[in-house]
Amino acid sequence: MEPLGDKARVFNSRNTRLMREKIMGGQVHKQLLYPLITIAVVFGVWQLAANHYNSEFMMPSPCKTMVTFASVVHDPEVIKNLLITLKRVLTGFFYALLIGVPLGFLMGYSKTAMRLFDPLIDSLRQIPIMAWVPLTIVWFGLGDGPTIFLITFSGVFPIIINTVAGVQNISRDYYNAARSMGGGSWSIFTKIIVPASLPDILIGSRVAVGLGWMSVI
Amino acid sequence: MELKVESISKKFKNDSSFQTVLKDLDFTVREGQFVTLLGPSGCGKTTLLTIIAGFQAASGGRVLINGCQVTRPGPDRGFVFQNYALFPWMTVRDNILYPMKQRKVPGKEREKRLEELLGMAQLEGKEKLFPHQLSGGMKQRVAFIRALAGKPEVLLMDEPLGAVDMQMRQSLQDDLEVLWLKDKTTVVMVTHDVDEAIYLSDRVIVMSAQEGKIVEDLPVRLPRPRDRKGMEYHKHKERLAEALRIAMGKRPESPEAKRQLCLA
Repeated sequence: MEPLGDKARVFNSRNTRLMREKIMGGQVHKQLLYPLITIAVVFGVWQLAANHYNSEFMMPSPCKTMVTFASVVHDPEVIKNLLITLKRVLTGFFYALLIGVPLGFLMGYSKTAMRLFDPLIDSLRQIPIMAWVPLTIVWFGLGDGPTIFLITFSGVFPIIINTVAGVQNISRDYYNAARSMGGGSWSIFTKIIVPASLPDILIGSRVAVGLGWMSVI
Repeated sequence: MELKVESISKKFKNDSSFQTVLKDLDFTVREGQFVTLLGPSGCGKTTLLTIIAGFQAASGGRVLINGCQVTRPGPDRGFVFQNYALFPWMTVRDNILYPMKQRKVPGKEREKRLEELLGMAQLEGKEKLFPHQLSGGMKQRVAFIRALAGKPEVLLMDEPLGAVDMQMRQSLQDDLEVLWLKDKTTVVMVTHDVDEAIYLSDRVIVMSAQEGKIVEDLPVRLPRPRDRKGMEYHKHKERLAEALRIAMGKRPESPEAKRQLCLA
């Protein structure tokens, strides 16, 4: 069994402190100012490119794009489709959690489970998502089915891998401490394994939702 | 309560050869005794402690508590970890309640014991904090009372003050002694610090780097709290330092030879 460290790092950035600062925030004005600078620079470059091409078809100017965007957002048809997509992403993500988290717990805790599932998961993981498209259409027909399957499929691996890493990273001392205080298997699972690996599961979920949006198309 | 270590051996397998860490160790700890295992690093003292705790199995021999053989970790043996191992996702309160919940202590009694323990460790008002919000000394006290909360027969401590600096260490030793005097649970502590061993324990067992052989089993009968500058204290200290030198496999340095060196 190979250590999971490297694989997990591909998906999770492990900068939980950065995340916390991002969420809690210390200085509000800095939080607003810096993103605004980025946006301004991007718009500037965009405008320059638009001037260069001088063609609305090749490269529309940022102003024009914003105006069109505003009108499109009010269109009920667009909102309806947006909601449909949102529903698909959430359904797919839900299934990914449903499969990924238990499997991750199992593989993180038991070496036997790891040996059983790791080869399968590692090989499935490598298949490009687009290669599944024709097959899933054959399997599920042309409805929501293929999309949801693909969203689940792309999201399940980061969830599994991060959950496994989360469980494997739990210090032996915590298990020993719990057992020397009379903790049984169920108590160790609910009071130690779940809370200790929760941050990693959340990181995996974040990646999964992101990948889900990307596989919508 | 009686803790009996009977011809405990421990071998580790390295690629092809076996490395013997402990060989045929015997000793008995009586009720209420504070016993310290002292030895150079690598002498297997922590290994022995984890075998008593049941975290790992011995290669030979057995550990008996009140005549019952130890096979796995259990609530009859509390353990204080070197890094405290407080659960960071639980508050101080939940950390201390954990062992009592596992032992199915009724709610009312649980609250009463919690109050009592917090009072003992002078941690009233801190029960809603998380471990990362506590100072090192407070963490150590929480770890200590958490291990006591389930009323273990014996408390095992693995270098409980290993991670703090010298001054802090001495004041924490005072805290630890005060806490222990209030409870008088049987204690087996591991340390590599001679001063700590004499200051806290009723009996010091010095283990050798060679297969953990016991080179000295010294009772300390000084009145508590102990005077670190006293004559008797100093004598004990010298005797243990000598034993440690033997334990490390060095030639014993007699006081005679030392005096001559000073004069020269």
